[in-house]
Amino acid sequence: MGNFFPRWTNWLPLKLAIALVFILAGVTVGVSYYFTPKYTRVGYEPTQPVPFSHKIHAGQLGMDCRYCHSFVEQSGHANVPTNQTCLNCHGVGKGGIRTASPKLEKVQAAAASGKPIEWVKVHKLPDYAYFDHSVHLNRGVSCVSCHGKVKDMEVVRQVEPHSMGWCLDCHRNPESKLRPLDQITNLDYLASDLDRKSFYQGLLDKGVKAEEIAQVIVGENKPAPTAGGIDDLLALAGKTFGKTVSQQEVGTQLKKHWQIQPPETCAACHR
Amino acid sequence: MKRTWHHPEQPTTGKRYWRSPAELERRSDFLNTLGVEFPGGDTLNEEERENSRREFIKIMGAAAGLMGLASCRRPVVNIMPYANHAEWVIPGKPLLYASAMPRPYGVTPLVVTTYEGRPTHLSGNTLHPLGGGLDAFAQASVLDLYDPQRSQKPMAKGKGAGWGKANETLASISAGAKKAQGAGLAIVVGGTTSPTVHRLLGDIKKAMPQAALYGYEALSRDGAIAAGKAIFGAGVKQVVRLGNAERILALDCDFLGNDPVDGDPVKAFTKGRNPEENGGKMNRLYCLENRYTLTGGMADHRKAVAASLIPLVAAHIAAELGEASAKTLASGCPDSIKAWLKEAIADLKQNAGKSVVIAGSRYGAEVHTLVAAINNALGAFGSTVELVQIAGEQELGTLEDLRKEIAGGKVKTVVSLTGSNLLYDAPDAAGLSADLDKNKVQLVHLGTSLNATARGAALHLPAAHYLEAWSDARAADGTYSVIQPMIQPLYDGVSEIDLLLALLGRKKVGPAEVVVPAATPAGPAPAPAAPAAPVIDAGYAAVRDTFATIAGGMDEDKWNFSLRDGFLKGSAGAAAGAPNLGAVAAIVGQAQAPAALDGTTFEVVLATDSSMLDGRYASNAWLQEAPDPITKLTWDNAAWLASSTFRSLGLKEGQMIKVSVNGNDLVIPAIEAPGHAANSVTIPVGYGQTRLGFVGSKRGFDAYILRKSPGFILTGAKIEKLDEVFELAITQDHNTMEGRAMFREGTAEEFKKTPDFATRHGMDAHIPENISLYKGQVGKKSETNPEGFDYETLHQWGMTIDLSKCIGCTACIVACQSENNIPVVGKDQVRKGRLMQWIRMDRYFAASEWGPDKAASDDVDIEPTAEQLDNAEMVHQPMACQQCESAPCETVCPVNATVHTEEGLNAMAYNRCIGTRYCANNCPYTARRFNWFDYNKRPLDELYWGPLSTPEKTGMRESLQLQKNPNVTVRMRGVIEKCTYCVQRLEAAKIKQKRVQRDSKNFRVPTDSVKVACQQACPAEAIEFGDLADAKSAVNGKKASKRSYTVLKYIGTLPRTSYLARVRNPNPAMPGADKVAAWSAHQS
Repeated sequence: MGNFFPRWTNWLPLKLAIALVFILAGVTVGVSYYFTPKYTRVGYEPTQPVPFSHKIHAGQLGMDCRYCHSFVEQSGHANVPTNQTCLNCHGVGKGGIRTASPKLEKVQAAAASGKPIEWVKVHKLPDYAYFDHSVHLNRGVSCVSCHGKVKDMEVVRQVEPHSMGWCLDCHRNPESKLRPLDQITNLDYLASDLDRKSFYQGLLDKGVKAEEIAQVIVGENKPAPTAGGIDDLLALAGKTFGKTVSQQEVGTQLKKHWQIQPPETCAACHR
Repeated sequence: MKRTWHHPEQPTTGKRYWRSPAELERRSDFLNTLGVEFPGGDTLNEEERENSRREFIKIMGAAAGLMGLASCRRPVVNIMPYANHAEWVIPGKPLLYASAMPRPYGVTPLVVTTYEGRPTHLSGNTLHPLGGGLDAFAQASVLDLYDPQRSQKPMAKGKGAGWGKANETLASISAGAKKAQGAGLAIVVGGTTSPTVHRLLGDIKKAMPQAALYGYEALSRDGAIAAGKAIFGAGVKQVVRLGNAERILALDCDFLGNDPVDGDPVKAFTKGRNPEENGGKMNRLYCLENRYTLTGGMADHRKAVAASLIPLVAAHIAAELGEASAKTLASGCPDSIKAWLKEAIADLKQNAGKSVVIAGSRYGAEVHTLVAAINNALGAFGSTVELVQIAGEQELGTLEDLRKEIAGGKVKTVVSLTGSNLLYDAPDAAGLSADLDKNKVQLVHLGTSLNATARGAALHLPAAHYLEAWSDARAADGTYSVIQPMIQPLYDGVSEIDLLLALLGRKKVGPAEVVVPAATPAGPAPAPAAPAAPVIDAGYAAVRDTFATIAGGMDEDKWNFSLRDGFLKGSAGAAAGAPNLGAVAAIVGQAQAPAALDGTTFEVVLATDSSMLDGRYASNAWLQEAPDPITKLTWDNAAWLASSTFRSLGLKEGQMIKVSVNGNDLVIPAIEAPGHAANSVTIPVGYGQTRLGFVGSKRGFDAYILRKSPGFILTGAKIEKLDEVFELAITQDHNTMEGRAMFREGTAEEFKKTPDFATRHGMDAHIPENISLYKGQVGKKSETNPEGFDYETLHQWGMTIDLSKCIGCTACIVACQSENNIPVVGKDQVRKGRLMQWIRMDRYFAASEWGPDKAASDDVDIEPTAEQLDNAEMVHQPMACQQCESAPCETVCPVNATVHTEEGLNAMAYNRCIGTRYCANNCPYTARRFNWFDYNKRPLDELYWGPLSTPEKTGMRESLQLQKNPNVTVRMRGVIEKCTYCVQRLEAAKIKQKRVQRDSKNFRVPTDSVKVACQQACPAEAIEFGDLADAKSAVNGKKASKRSYTVLKYIGTLPRTSYLARVRNPNPAMPGADKVAAWSAHQS
């Protein structure tokens, strides 16, 4: 009886096994990248019915986010403005700016008919996830943390994955995003642009004790330094964080003194 | 060390609580359901199961393959902002309005929660002098607004007619009536208290002096109204102040349930049921009734007597208290009742000035006259009963008056505004219909549903729901409320006021005419025209006019404050003069003693139904599915028979009987009702209606056909047993906890001696220390906090339910359904034990003094005597997720879909649940519900058709979508759900606090500022909820009560919900007082 299987088949099982390892690894990598919001959602940039440019309004003109998204600090939803908001500037007999622009046709038509403009939703959460804008904005999380620099976008697109893991990253580590409340809608904010003296003075004015601030500067488990006033704090901070203010410095202070405890339980977002 | 525990053995002597006679007797049909994972959920045999499993996997495989293809594209979702700013509306935030719900003979003050203009949830208006919680009807009324089966367009003789034709008909009626001075026009209103309606009726009387006005409600109070007019004078109302009453005797008056007396009976009564308040002073309730009602369940002493004896009982009490004219009638009162009443009357007398007698509102004038005489003798007027003068109400004739006029051919047009359904629920409705036809009477009907009257009317107009139109109402004490519309009428509905205005020729009904703007000429843009004066709705103007007369001039500030608070301050009626008791003798003298009940005939009591009222809520699915508080029957009605009768007839549950009375027959299933009077049959009304869609059609059996004359007690009935057995959906044995002692009660005396009697029950007194392997959360562990919850910086939520106050109504169940988007499942699914309601109202019967067990047959463990069953006590205990700190459900979830929060909630992540149902199996409180189907999307009558269900019926009806609470996930098939302490409200409260506090540190939600839906709904204020970490919170105060206990404490689940044991206040001199609230058999 001759050799039924040719010689090369001796190595076939091994080759198959090795190939399978690579294929599995490839599938795993592929799925974990292509099937996650990082790939499927980031970059979503639908065409809107009205070519409204955030770049012009929020960027060039420097309008505050809250002029149009007026209830974002009060409600869970960041409301999309009504026609009346647009026509405050663009309306005949109102601001009168570029009233004849063809880009505004749909707005004028909507105002006349009373039918709303059907904007396309960019940042979409599943129905079972309940996100609340107001609590984030009132507690030192800026628009830019989730939506990116919308003021530089001609057409709004999604820049962050908005997946559960991504949410939890920040909920576990809020100090990387917290900023003073007057900087919430400043999309260009950098911690290094802050004035260290006024930052600490602000905390002191709010009734936070200098020792507590000093403790946060050096870290929870270090021996408490003595700090009598603003000058001691500035010296201490300079020694710990260097010349410019760092995000870590701001974030840890705010987290501690505003008692930021981002919830991590299911019930916080799922009801 | 692992500790194993066992449930305590069922004792064989002493007191027992049971939900159904089958449970008490340990019958095999009950025991067989115990071991089954989901009783009724699994009807396949082993082989079928295997086949269906393979089938399932095949289909799922194909489906999964196709699913991949379908999900490639991300669907586009639109955001549609308001075109123009809407005042007050902040998208995503609820907006609350104070309004009121008109009821027959009264009003319920409300706060309406609206989201972007759609009302989703109702709660009581606590600012209102008579406001408090709600009952199930009020709570469920928001669903009526969105009922897909609602009447949506005008109809003529059952066929669609346009609004144009409707307006023509109304105009011709109006013109004709004006010409004829109103002759031939009859207007029938319900028990409305609306001053505007009464004012407009007055206007009609002025414009058409011969028009006749009638009042009709199927659950008529004509007797009480007639007695009131004779004794107190016209326009005088009795307001019962149960808060001042220490001794109450109810004569078949279900003032805690379906027969509300004027006043705020539930809140005022339950205020006096806490032995720890008012220096330990509790009120005492005596109750005589033919069947168990909620009031009977709360009574300290209750006697089951036939309803037809109530006039004799009233006469006996009156005679004992010195009313001479009552003596003749009183002589018929049976001696056994006299003996029972002896001490009760003595007790009432002793507490003169602090006692009150109240009678069922549907009894005749003689009963109410006698009760007035009794109350006068007890010195009740001015203390426990207030007499209030209400101005401006029109005199209304009765339906009998109208029928005489119709039969005499004097009536040409009948305009029906009543919420009742004339051609269905009137006495001898068929005769009325024939009379109308014979005399060619034109019937105009206004109503929200396409019921029998709507279909038979010459013109039917769809009515506006009370949340859709301007109206007003007066509460029992005369306090004036304006009813505000929350939403534009969904189907252009017409309100009562609109229709009256149309009859007066002041308004057109139907959709507002669209004003077409004049065409603008081409050329340069014209100067903007001056804004047109807003068109003021005539109905709105009419309500404002009424307000102006009541408030003494139109004051915009007053108007706005009234709208904000929900009532006009200081508008209560003035105190009326003393009652004229001279009229008693004449009315009582006319009364005839009822036919004596011999052993062979029965009386039939046509009772108010707890789901239908008089039949008007037939298409309300929440109410249909809310189990009757007494029988636990859903979706149908049945004849309630006393256990002794039921057993002597040898009936089975649901077996058909034929009830014959006055030559009318009714075939209806029978059920056993412990605690029922032996010679009496109770049949709830409102069922057996047709053509009301899936929810309302062919539910139960129409009991109205039995009556040919007004009155609700029919004597001389015969019962015949039939062979057929009807399938009823009774929930009393669902989610059973196997008879373990849940309910604890004692007497006031006992409470004084041993205040902590509740914690000495069963094993509670000697439980070994709980050793937990579960690591718990942040915070320090201690003996009182073994799971280590953080009480320093976080909230710790907890709840108490005071069983002394809980009356067992189903308001909390419906409130929970409304708040938490809980679906209804339909009768077939209820029969399979798949009811979705998160709160289960367990109703237990109890009787003490079991002898040693005697096995009656192979099937039965204990044989109770008929006497024991007929005299059983009844108690209620609401049961929902107990939020165990050491929750057995969490440890068995394979996917962590149910986990604990740091705040002590047993949370559910629905999107994570894969439906293993392990948690439901492991829940000792059986508080978890499983979505066997997509109940929200699938038509309930085609659940098993899968994707083949009728496309028009599939998917959630658009109108029902509007009702859903946007803050709660609508659960899908294959997911477990359960109470989460309204976590959406807790989160909203915490977020609000943070939003307001911003960069400061105080994040504790203000004490007792957040209320959960059931707590808010509870009319008895039995539920307390709050932050256990807040020392000042009310729930902490309740938890500290000696009466506080947790259910199944010995298994160590550490529930966050605890119960306060019920304390009853029996009169030691009464017969059987020693048995009232005797300690349960599980006492140590």
